[in-house]
Amino acid sequence: MNMDSQGQTTSLQRLQNVEKRIVKVLELAGGVMDELSSPTGPRKEVVQNHCLDFMQLIKDIQVALRDEIKSACEYRPFENCDYGSRIGSEICFKKLEFVMSQLEAMKQTMDEYHAAV
Amino acid sequence: MEENIQVSLDKLPIKRLDVIEENGLERFPSDLDYDEKRLSLIRRVDFAWALEKDEQKKKQKKTSKEASTPWQWQSMVENLQLAHQELSVIIDLINTVEANDAVTVAGMTRPKPLPNEALSDLAVSAATKLQCYRHVGKYFKQSAKAFEQQVAREARFYGALIRLQQNWKVKRQRLASIAPGNEGFTFDLFDNSYDSEATNRSSALSTVHVDHDAAGMLAINVPPNSCHSLQFGFLGEQSDNILRKSNVNKSNFSSESDLGESGKESLSDEVCVKKSHILLREVHLAIFNEQVFDLVNREAFNSSTGVSVTGIHENYLQLSLGQGTFVFLSLVPSGQDNREVEGAATDDVGNAILPSDTLDGVKLQDGKHSIQKKKKWQFPNSLSYEIYLQQIFHEHIFGRGIGKPISSGTRVSGVPIKDGSGLLGHFSLSLSHRIFSSKVLAELENVVCRVPYLQLITNPTWHSRTSSWTLSMKVPQSILHMGSQSKMSNIALEKNAVKSHFWTKVVVNDDCINVEREGALKDVGLFKGKSEEIHSMNKYDCNLADLPVIILQQVASQIINWLYQEALMVGIKANRDFLCLSFELDQGETLSLVAHVDPEDIDGCISWWLVMEDSFAEERKLHIDITDGASEYRKFLGHLSLDLLYATLMDLIGLCSAGGGQ
Repeated sequence: MNMDSQGQTTSLQRLQNVEKRIVKVLELAGGVMDELSSPTGPRKEVVQNHCLDFMQLIKDIQVALRDEIKSACEYRPFENCDYGSRIGSEICFKKLEFVMSQLEAMKQTMDEYHAAV
Repeated sequence: MEENIQVSLDKLPIKRLDVIEENGLERFPSDLDYDEKRLSLIRRVDFAWALEKDEQKKKQKKTSKEASTPWQWQSMVENLQLAHQELSVIIDLINTVEANDAVTVAGMTRPKPLPNEALSDLAVSAATKLQCYRHVGKYFKQSAKAFEQQVAREARFYGALIRLQQNWKVKRQRLASIAPGNEGFTFDLFDNSYDSEATNRSSALSTVHVDHDAAGMLAINVPPNSCHSLQFGFLGEQSDNILRKSNVNKSNFSSESDLGESGKESLSDEVCVKKSHILLREVHLAIFNEQVFDLVNREAFNSSTGVSVTGIHENYLQLSLGQGTFVFLSLVPSGQDNREVEGAATDDVGNAILPSDTLDGVKLQDGKHSIQKKKKWQFPNSLSYEIYLQQIFHEHIFGRGIGKPISSGTRVSGVPIKDGSGLLGHFSLSLSHRIFSSKVLAELENVVCRVPYLQLITNPTWHSRTSSWTLSMKVPQSILHMGSQSKMSNIALEKNAVKSHFWTKVVVNDDCINVEREGALKDVGLFKGKSEEIHSMNKYDCNLADLPVIILQQVASQIINWLYQEALMVGIKANRDFLCLSFELDQGETLSLVAHVDPEDIDGCISWWLVMEDSFAEERKLHIDITDGASEYRKFLGHLSLDLLYATLMDLIGLCSAGGGQ
């Protein structure tokens, strides 16, 4: 996975943050609309804050997406296939299990010997 | 009348007919002057003259009726009359318009709205806008929520996919016609980094589709029982071995069904990913197992490997490796035993294999009273050969593709590199060797069990067709220096130290046994009657049946050697034969300590006899069976331990030096 130096987040996490920001943006828009539609008239500072946040978030989204698009590397899935070594380690795993069972049998024999003695 | 309507009439010269006489003559009204026309037209609209007239009339009426009391509705009547007149003018106007007098509207001004009307209009429009805003606001918030849920779902899915992608290849097909929930991801488990000739059969298992489960999380569906695992076994093997193996296999992939169904969301994510990963591992291994089975099948029918096929069923192959060894290789669905097929197959095979026995009755070096049965040989653990088979095929299949050399310097497995046709042959040779060496080991263990001062050490050879053991006998220090501590200094001790550590080495190459003894320079030749100091052959081959006897003879002669050296240390010259140490007494009599080896002896394998001969019995030494005891006297000493032997020796020496006697 790509580990970025900024904030030690992976690119997946950054994209997830972008999505969260989009959700937030939608919520802000809804909030502004609600504020505008309030029967007592909109409170200016609320609307202003919302709009500021909105613009800020849009800017963040743009920046993040641009970075991600620039830094997206080509997905080469079929280089350095490790399936062979994976089978090798499965075989090693089986060997380990076997050795462990042998050791347990030995231990059992020893215990029986000590018990008999 | 609140509106001012300005009307201008077009001056069309339309003549109105005034009268038509009977003779068709038309009489028009006389043309008026233009101004008069206008005036008359205006008059038609302008009510001023009418009003004046009315006023005059009214005045006249008023002056005529001043005396009468005014009627309260009088003004209303007058207003209505006025209105009536105005209406009649308007009706005339309308008639004029209808009669095609073109009338154009020059302009119209909006009536000035009353203030409350303006406000209410504003209020209505404002309220409509607010309603729209509210509607839009609700829409935004709903979309935000829905989007959030969608994002969360997809985050779970793609998070799981990325974690799995760290280990497995992911491919994607963007199909337009797929279901909306399916993005077309697949896991590709086919390894294309090795030679294709080895693996023509691309398994149907290689592509695993990625689906969504009910919660939108990544899920993999693999048809049950489609994954096979390799099973290798010896025909005639005890069933509990096979059961043990299948339990081991099951424990690999037993799903953690006991984990969090009641867990949190994040916990079950982990569990999902782990389950999928385990499934993929299973499938991947199953593909490999199928490849191995394929290759074994192919090589088995190649007659040059020395292995012949004795039975075939679906997913089952039975081979004969020679020397009466029958093995089978089968693909069983994971988690099941292929017992029925194996049971049917054993009918085909004769009982060429020793029946295996359990281990009860064999105790370790216990005491004199322990009953030690000879351990019967049983098959080596077939699981290890299953693994070995997988390993060598794995090295062949994958090792060449990656380009690393198969036989590295440290581990010489002896796999032929050529084109893989020798893999099965190599495997069968290794297997035969292992079976043979396990038999050898059984014999050695039987011997060593019953000789208390003998130790069996295994020497690892790191070669699949060679095995080696050492039988070591070490004389304890306490015995060695028993008699000599007061006499010699330490340095002299080391120089004249009697050899106290004896070993015999057994090496098995394929199925040849080679016994080697630590070569003392003055060693006694084999089976030679005379005690001569010659260079002996320290190494010789033997077969399995003779092995125990030969080992025991070696050990006994080593003991004799030791005793001889001890005697020399004390200063007595004794005569040494292969298994016999003899001292001369004064009258030409010889007192001999003779070793007797018997592998079948339950109490111990090496026993000792004390034989006293007179001088006339020299020539009878060559006779193998000494049955008559006329000229000699034999006493059975039993199975002596080393310190007892030493004590016996010292007694004998004492007897010799004391001179004669019995």
